[in-house]
Amino acid sequence: MFLAFALVTLGGAFALLIQRNAVQAGLCMMLSFFGMAGLFLLLANPVAAALQIIVYSGAITVLVLFVVMLLQSHREEPAEHPRYIQKAISAILVIVLALGAVKLVYSSETLANMQAVSPVPDPITLQKLGEQLFSEHLVALEAMGLLLLAAMVAAVILIKKEA
Amino acid sequence: MSIGLLTYSSLQAYLIVSFLLFTVGLSIALLRRNFLVQFMGIELMLNAANLALLAFAKWRGGDVSGTVFYFLIIAVAACEAAVGLALIIGLFRHRRSTDTDGANSLRQ
Repeated sequence: MFLAFALVTLGGAFALLIQRNAVQAGLCMMLSFFGMAGLFLLLANPVAAALQIIVYSGAITVLVLFVVMLLQSHREEPAEHPRYIQKAISAILVIVLALGAVKLVYSSETLANMQAVSPVPDPITLQKLGEQLFSEHLVALEAMGLLLLAAMVAAVILIKKEA
Repeated sequence: MSIGLLTYSSLQAYLIVSFLLFTVGLSIALLRRNFLVQFMGIELMLNAANLALLAFAKWRGGDVSGTVFYFLIIAVAACEAAVGLALIIGLFRHRRSTDTDGANSLRQ
């Protein structure tokens, strides 16, 4: 199961990288988010999986696809200056970063020890999350509400046509 | 060794999926020239961080704080989506294009 969800997640992300059409790229992103929701279920965290599907696969994907269709920018325009050197440098850097990270994860003894001692935890429930959120992290919750309001006002002001 | 570890779910396997997802997101943000596709790459990078966070939370014995932080991160990501897309629309109004190569000046 883990391998299937991991492949869906990474395959969706990789399809997003090579996809030329922006609308289809958005659908690849949605596939990747669904795979990640499956990974969250395997992590005994159904709350995060539900939030992932509602917020990412639902809200954010629809918002991005709406903007793609609004701006009619389905295709990437041909480049004025094809920057081959910069592209090659960034591709090499990214591959080195990926290989380095994988090697680091496998060679780390701390991670292996963490892996060894862990018991199987109970699944996270909404009740546990709510109790934690409204007791220890109440200030962060209120700040988040304020931030969402500020972002909404900022988006409206940025979109508004100059009078 | 690596194939054997990846066939079942271990902390290392989750972290590797997370790292690979981050690097794919980074390469999308670096290699593509469409603002909206780059934006999707940034969302993928945020998600990779979430995956690593929740994997560590599970191997700390099902820590609820991980899910709390995940909740806060997706709220910030939603704010970022709203403001980012508004900025992209604003830029499109000025330049008639969503190509990042053309957006090299803050003035008209």
